[in-house]
Amino acid sequence: MNIKEALEIKDSFMAGGYDVAVVGAGHAGCEAAHACAKLGLKTVLFTLYLDSIANLPCNPSIGGTAKGQLVREIDALGGIMGKIADECAIQMRMLNRSKGPAVYSPRAQMDRHRYSDVMKCYLEKVENLDIRQAHVTDLLTEEGAVTGVMTESRAVYSAKAVVICSGTYMESRTIRGGVICESGPDGLPRSVGLSASLSEAGIPILRFKTGTPVRVNSSRLDFDQMTRQDGEYDIPPFSYDNEMHGKTVPEDQVPCWSVWTTPVTREVITENMDRSPLYSGVITGIGPRYCPSIEDKFMRFKDKDRHQIFVEPMGRQTNEMYLQGFSTSLPEDVQVKMVRSLPGLSEAVIQRSAYAIEYDLVEPLSLTPALESKVVKGLFTAGQINGSSGYEEAAGQGIIAGINAAMKVLGKDPVILDRSQAYIGVLVDDLVTKGTSEPYRMMTSRAEYRLFLRQDNADTRLTPIGHDIGLIEDERFSLFEEKMRLIEEETERLKSTYIGPSDTLKEILESAGSVLPPSGISLADLLKRPKVTYELIEGVDKERKPLPSYVTKAVETDIKYEGYLKLEKEKIEKFSELESRRLPEDTDYEKIEGLRLEARQKLNKLKPINVGQASRISGVSPADISVLLVYLEMKKREEK
Amino acid sequence: MPGTFCACSTPMGQSGIAVIRISGPLSGTGLDDCFKIIRTSGSAKVISQMEGYTAALADFTDPSDGSVIDRVVVTRFTAPHSYTGEDMTEISCHGGNAVKQEIFRVLFEKGIRPAEPGEFTKTAFVNGKLALSEAEAVMNVIKSESSGALKVSNSQVFGKLNSELSKVEETLYKALSLIEMIVEFPEHDDTPANTDRVRKMISSAIDVLVPLKDSYAQGRLLADRLKVALAGKPNSGKSTLLNKLTGFDRAIVTDIPGTTRDTLDQDIDINGIPVRITDTAGIRQTDDAIEAMGVERARSSIREADLCLFLISPDDPADEVIEQLSCIRNSGTDIPVELVFTKSDMGINDASEEISRKAEDLGIEKTMVISALSDEGIDLIRKEISDFYDSLGSSSSTVIISGRHAGLLALASDKLMEAVNALDDGLGEDIASSVIRSALEDIGSITGKTVSNELVNTIFSDFCIGK
Repeated sequence: MNIKEALEIKDSFMAGGYDVAVVGAGHAGCEAAHACAKLGLKTVLFTLYLDSIANLPCNPSIGGTAKGQLVREIDALGGIMGKIADECAIQMRMLNRSKGPAVYSPRAQMDRHRYSDVMKCYLEKVENLDIRQAHVTDLLTEEGAVTGVMTESRAVYSAKAVVICSGTYMESRTIRGGVICESGPDGLPRSVGLSASLSEAGIPILRFKTGTPVRVNSSRLDFDQMTRQDGEYDIPPFSYDNEMHGKTVPEDQVPCWSVWTTPVTREVITENMDRSPLYSGVITGIGPRYCPSIEDKFMRFKDKDRHQIFVEPMGRQTNEMYLQGFSTSLPEDVQVKMVRSLPGLSEAVIQRSAYAIEYDLVEPLSLTPALESKVVKGLFTAGQINGSSGYEEAAGQGIIAGINAAMKVLGKDPVILDRSQAYIGVLVDDLVTKGTSEPYRMMTSRAEYRLFLRQDNADTRLTPIGHDIGLIEDERFSLFEEKMRLIEEETERLKSTYIGPSDTLKEILESAGSVLPPSGISLADLLKRPKVTYELIEGVDKERKPLPSYVTKAVETDIKYEGYLKLEKEKIEKFSELESRRLPEDTDYEKIEGLRLEARQKLNKLKPINVGQASRISGVSPADISVLLVYLEMKKREEK
Repeated sequence: MPGTFCACSTPMGQSGIAVIRISGPLSGTGLDDCFKIIRTSGSAKVISQMEGYTAALADFTDPSDGSVIDRVVVTRFTAPHSYTGEDMTEISCHGGNAVKQEIFRVLFEKGIRPAEPGEFTKTAFVNGKLALSEAEAVMNVIKSESSGALKVSNSQVFGKLNSELSKVEETLYKALSLIEMIVEFPEHDDTPANTDRVRKMISSAIDVLVPLKDSYAQGRLLADRLKVALAGKPNSGKSTLLNKLTGFDRAIVTDIPGTTRDTLDQDIDINGIPVRITDTAGIRQTDDAIEAMGVERARSSIREADLCLFLISPDDPADEVIEQLSCIRNSGTDIPVELVFTKSDMGINDASEEISRKAEDLGIEKTMVISALSDEGIDLIRKEISDFYDSLGSSSSTVIISGRHAGLLALASDKLMEAVNALDDGLGEDIASSVIRSALEDIGSITGKTVSNELVNTIFSDFCIGK
């Protein structure tokens, strides 16, 4: 449908014109809208329900392995998730402390309602941004490009670019046993019609499934039967800006708890498996393997007789607690029995029951690495609509889709992060190059250059890019440059400061299980020894000046891992060579003789933007890549 | 695929001289410690200092222990003035399999990888060294070389290798997923750190990979052939033995010494092993110019052979035999030599004891006695050759026939040893994991698996996780 046709519908009217219209105000939509507005574009953000902006309908936590890195990256680019999370955190921890800095991952428990509220208030004050509660039902296009959207109330908005972040809301239905509700998550309204409108425009649609666990009231719980997990205080906030301004994590943190399932839990589940919609065939959407329901865990891992469940607060004031690890689509009466079989929860009262949810999404293989549709120009999508899962994955795509929608309107080149620059790059590349057969969750093992993609250096990797785009303001950028200067100076100093053997040094080294070197040694070489830390060698480092810990930690990691980082940088250089060979959009691979048949078909279907992306498409061999390189060279010479 | 790559550009198993080409940034400074320059036109001390288009006589050495592998001619080309347009080094070495194999081993250890199909041509084209009109031809070279490689990978031998490697991969993915599991899902208490188990799994993978890569010593012969040189004084019975082994007259046999003026090759099967027997002209001082050339060729075929049988007839003077044996020993090869006393029907050489004793000093221990006339000992020779072939094998039941595969597996097993060290040193899981991952990438370039996909699948199928 185009604007003219839309305006012919009864009661329809022209409601306004924008540069960019963002549909959906979840984590992806908020970042996208914020980025567009911040870049000076007239932007509108539509949401089905204004009080559920940036909702955390599942686990009210942000960060975790790979996800914490994503939040740091979003912040480093100039996004907002990190700042809002810092403000709403009620417990923070750094996961993987003992496993090496490459996998340190910050994670924070959020005050769910506060998060929503703070985000809403923040966005309301952003210049160039209008927020509207409206149900968008139609995408309006003209000659294969977007022209606007229409809402259920027949309001027609023109837009030069549209970003759809529909989460799990498109044609969603929730399932508890045999009870099926046409509803969004937690009883919120769902999106109807938009999916059909996208399909009509030629966009391929898939259907996925995910689930949410039971929420209970804490007043009837016996915490003495649970294991307590407290927060940590000596960790940086998510936002680099907060970190550089000396802000710390919240003082009065709230504990989380954990319990194990009992033989009764298993019995209840086994007895009622015939009532599970997953096993009876009611659910057809594909669910994620990493987030199996509790019944799935018992069925698939029969050798494990118990599973760990986390009991986590949903806010400071509320009694509501979330049972992480207890997602299920069994009927509500079974859920009650299951919950009460857990230690300390025998009296528990369920406030919200668990459910599985099915929803429509867009085939991510139909997107470019800029997250623009290859079918409809000017249409961008981000978040669960692209087959991902998780708030952080959504926000990461949101900021990229937002930036690129803005670039499109401004007539500039898209901003694409590659796999060596950011987890966001890995995420987007995986989705648009390999596709996914289940909701895609970010994991650190998906990143080839994990030693380099750390949570502590996301600003080094991305803040200059954020500044170039215009999302990072000059003041913050100069703070960043100062940080870089301090890191460089201190690294240099440690490398050029030599100390001789002494009793103090001997003592220090022995405490780390190391021996005294026979002659002088640089402080940097000392740091390279296992278990020797920057803190530990303070006693022999006479000229040390006080520096912020974000500087000393960075220096320590860079020096300690220098050898491995160098190897990884070499790999990255090789990787970048293929990434830099651009493949023109109009390349007809059918006509390239040397390619194997399968490669021709796959390449024509996916239209990769560069040879690097082509090399990651399944069915494209190294020999095909050689042929492509020869072909590109041939083209180049022909053009001369 | 960027990086530095190498390949032998002369046909396998057919040439007296082999040329190994290396292209990429590591071809200069990366190899300086492998060459001891003996003579060159300029003043270069190391190969990276050599000017483009200059050559040097050098000893190719293994930098890890300083041992000389072969005396070679090395030619340098500097970017962009080379075939590929990158820095290149060409090594002209002796064509013997053992020599080539050793040189490749050192190159792989230096981080130089085996070339992809058509890679030299491709790189040359991409760097503008070949004319536009040649583009199509270049693409066809890539296509045909890769379909050649495909044929190998569809062959039975490769099928077996692939299934063996799949088992190794499975073990390594399990090991890696044990590490990744505790990294990805640290909140869960039910996934204990399994460093010991991981270490054991890596060791078991190394135990498979090392013999597998070593099996190339045997496997290359399926593409090449086991080369056996027959040496000895003129008229010691070499041609007669050759005729016996092949079953028909190939060499002209007379009683006049020096009848075989050139080397003669004969391909035969011994117990199913492909063998190339080379009947060399006797090595002796001669004024006859044509014969002298034959003698020189004889020397070089001995250098290229895998095994040398030195024949001694009853009337050969002991001092001349010993002189020739030392001559072979000093020709820059440590090829195994075995003594064969021939014409036993005419009686054994009087000095046989003295010869054997002195030969032992040269490290030549095995002796046999044969008579081509009465067929005595001919079967023994056959058995000796097939035993020798078996001795090249490793404990692996699968053999590797591609130098590229051998190189990649060598890289992978080295990395796995490094991973074990990283775990022992208490470096973070992140480091150990990145090294194992890199080893899996090497193996994956044989089996065609992509690490990220496989890893994530293993994690999901083996562990119970999630919210």
